[in-house]
Amino acid sequence: MHIPDGYLSPSTCAVAYAAALPVWYLALNKVKRLLHTRMVPLLALFSAFSFVIMMFNLPLPGGTTGHAVGIAVATIVLGPCASIVAISTALLIQAVFFGDGGITTFGANCLNMAMVGSFIAYWTYTLVAGRSVLQSPRRVVAAAIAGYLAINVSALFAAVEFGIQPILFHDTTGAPLYAPYPLSIAVPAMLIGHLSFAGLAELVISGGLVAYLQRANPDLLAFSMRSADVQPKLAGPGIWRSTRALWYGLAALMTLTPLGLLAVGTAWGEWGTDDFANAAARQEILHASGNVAPPVAAPQGMERLSSLWTAPIPDYAPSFMHSANYGYILSAVLGAGLILLLFLLVSRLVFKRDSAGL
Amino acid sequence: MCAPSPVVGRHRQSRRRFADRFADDLTRALARAFDAEATSAQRGLLQGLDPRFKLVSMLSLILCAVLAQSLTLLAGLFLLAVALATLSGISPARLGQQVWLAVLIFTGVIALPSIVIVPGEPVWQVPWLHWTVTLQGLRSATFLIGRAETSATFALLLVLTTPWMHVLKAMRALGVPVVVVAILGMTHRYIFVLLQTAMQMFEARRSRIMAPMDGAQRRSLVMAAAGMLLAKSFQLSSEVHLAMVSRGYRGEVHLLHDFHARWRDWCVLLVALSLPAAILWSQR
Amino acid sequence: MNGNVFELDAVSYRYQDKVALDALTLHIRRGDRVALLGANGSGKSTLLRLLDALYFPSAGVLKAFGEPMSEAALADDAVNFAFRRRVGLVFQNPDVQIFNPTVFDEVAFGPLQLGWPKAQILEQVDAMLERFAIGYLKDRAPHRLSGGEKKRVALASVLIMAPEVVLLDEPTASLDPESQSEVIRFLVESRNTGRTVVTATHDLDIVEDIADHVIVLADGKVAGEGKPGEILEDVDLLRRTRLAHAHWHRHADGEMHAHLHSHRHHHDHHDGPERPRLITGKK
Repeated sequence: MHIPDGYLSPSTCAVAYAAALPVWYLALNKVKRLLHTRMVPLLALFSAFSFVIMMFNLPLPGGTTGHAVGIAVATIVLGPCASIVAISTALLIQAVFFGDGGITTFGANCLNMAMVGSFIAYWTYTLVAGRSVLQSPRRVVAAAIAGYLAINVSALFAAVEFGIQPILFHDTTGAPLYAPYPLSIAVPAMLIGHLSFAGLAELVISGGLVAYLQRANPDLLAFSMRSADVQPKLAGPGIWRSTRALWYGLAALMTLTPLGLLAVGTAWGEWGTDDFANAAARQEILHASGNVAPPVAAPQGMERLSSLWTAPIPDYAPSFMHSANYGYILSAVLGAGLILLLFLLVSRLVFKRDSAGL
Repeated sequence: MCAPSPVVGRHRQSRRRFADRFADDLTRALARAFDAEATSAQRGLLQGLDPRFKLVSMLSLILCAVLAQSLTLLAGLFLLAVALATLSGISPARLGQQVWLAVLIFTGVIALPSIVIVPGEPVWQVPWLHWTVTLQGLRSATFLIGRAETSATFALLLVLTTPWMHVLKAMRALGVPVVVVAILGMTHRYIFVLLQTAMQMFEARRSRIMAPMDGAQRRSLVMAAAGMLLAKSFQLSSEVHLAMVSRGYRGEVHLLHDFHARWRDWCVLLVALSLPAAILWSQR
Repeated sequence: MNGNVFELDAVSYRYQDKVALDALTLHIRRGDRVALLGANGSGKSTLLRLLDALYFPSAGVLKAFGEPMSEAALADDAVNFAFRRRVGLVFQNPDVQIFNPTVFDEVAFGPLQLGWPKAQILEQVDAMLERFAIGYLKDRAPHRLSGGEKKRVALASVLIMAPEVVLLDEPTASLDPESQSEVIRFLVESRNTGRTVVTATHDLDIVEDIADHVIVLADGKVAGEGKPGEILEDVDLLRRTRLAHAHWHRHADGEMHAHLHSHRHHHDHHDGPERPRLITGKK
């Protein structure tokens, strides 16, 4: 899941860094305020732990093995903000010192795994575990689900980042400059791998460690929720408040992008292959292109591309958009944005309920 | 007594594979660290540069590799990486073993299908399968592999020719907060402690197990090791915290570094920064 | 001000329902070399951490240099830095003590926290490394150090601040014999330097060399106090506090027996009045 250098274009990397920087800044400040002198040793040790866990070859049901990142464990034990810092640290050392993951793509990797992963895990766990007793099996299940979802949503974000590369970035001959596979291949490929192996590994590690901690060291489990020696909770509505605006903004941007294009209507270039055969459409194209007649048949490449990209996953091309290209960039962005929005709204309800009970 | 039964043999083999694979990973990590320390102490072109300038220059070169839109430019950057390595006492053979092979396998496997999937000018028809290899596919795969290899080489050169702590302290020049640098330094330090602890746990368990383990048993072994490691991490962190407080730590991180920039460093930086600028300008 | 560096008055320390120290009353005089004896779990480490103001008493009063110690008292930066410079603790596990990426950084850590000027720090660190003969380890990473080297680094990083009081937690544990004797040499040479040294150990063999005064702890309470000679002779005390041990050995004339191991450096076996009681009952 660690994206190496060269798979994402510089602009994609820049956008990812731009998204990551404010989250890092906020998370770091929050953790500094909460942990004081404990911050450096606690986060350092946990990052080291996370790093070592990423090296474990987990035996999975079915006889295979997989590697886990430990996102849910970090979030459950440390809370989402400290988890963001700890996992980002582990990822940085992996990238720079061990060459696992790229340097230009470090921002994207952190965004996918440390940030999105931590928040998804946090919300899922809080939602599913509810107010159950520390030792209850419900928490184990909650942790397992949190881990599974976190890694898969991370994988989805990575897949979207891959998938938009070939459309947006190619050289003069039309060859993709970065990740060559479009969404219709990138998304299924990433998700299949993660819904099965990586997801299972994450599920096993998250559930397993929480179960282990319940028996051996329940204190650690309560660590992020304890108001004891480490200042009031690391987890809880506080973090939610400070980053809420950020997440809503991100989700809104993602879901609103299709509307911009809707307003313009069928913009120049957004034609489907059948448009070239349809007389009415041909007229439209003629007018829009300064009266240059469109070719009689759809360009070969486009022909091949459109069937390739719309056939496998029909829902990816919303019906009102004939063009394959924009249709599915939008679908992807929309999809990711909707997932985020879903989590945001659900956890808003959860927290509202919680604060009402206070 | 005859030869061990194939069933038992296979189980034993898979048990060995399981624990030994982790041992291999650990050894690889340690070897990488020792290697880096030894190489950064040698005399060479890159070793002699101020770490701050080196860091920024390397980042700049990696950026070039990612910005490049012509294969010739990419090839040129790759050759530059090899040249820098050789001038720093790192042979291409070593580069091949430490980074080229791994990247080729990983990215190669991912890039391979693209030569038939990416649409464009057909170049060759795969016999029996009727898959068409396209020019665009080939170019795309070459870009991907080329970029991955070149960037990875530059990154490795940075790490091999600079003591890790200097890399971290150099990050201060880029505006990375002191606290982050402190955490990074300490994380790196304790990765090795935890790796060794994990190894010992596996060894201890392994020596007590007589019968071959099935999947569920192996899973619980790993889980127990992971759990103990987690508890140990927390315990260590508490103790380290006490040790830090005992020597006066109050939350302020202070770093001592003695970097002195020379003419040579400024020249290198200038060249390194002008490259991506030139590329961007030519792509305007 | 009296000559006591530490004064404990009915000090208790409770941690998670466990009473680690139970109403301890003792004092440690300036310039003394004290050995804290006790089996594992007797509270030695906890006491050392209380003396180093890493933990604070749950009950009772702990005074250091005549001033009562509490979290509030150390909240002031100036007070904290002054205390940290005057008292140093060498932890049992060197991996805990050595948390910086290189040996040089480690030894420089204390002075950096205390705000010494950079030039002075560089000079002092080099001097310390020389004194402990670890100059060649300057840029070495901790995971590449041997046990003995780690101990020397730990000592250097504490002593660079020239503390008046040095606390050591099991300094000879898990060290090879050569490193052990180095540590012991340091402790022996502390006599007459005016420095107060408190060593927690359960290694009875070295007690006579490293200490002028012994405090025996058991179950968080003081079980005995006195000169090393007296304490080591008090077999009942040693047995009660789980510090005594017996082992079989063979003599030159072929006889094999076991008796409680007296840690005095001289004892007679078959002749002389100091013949120890044999466990086997053979006379």
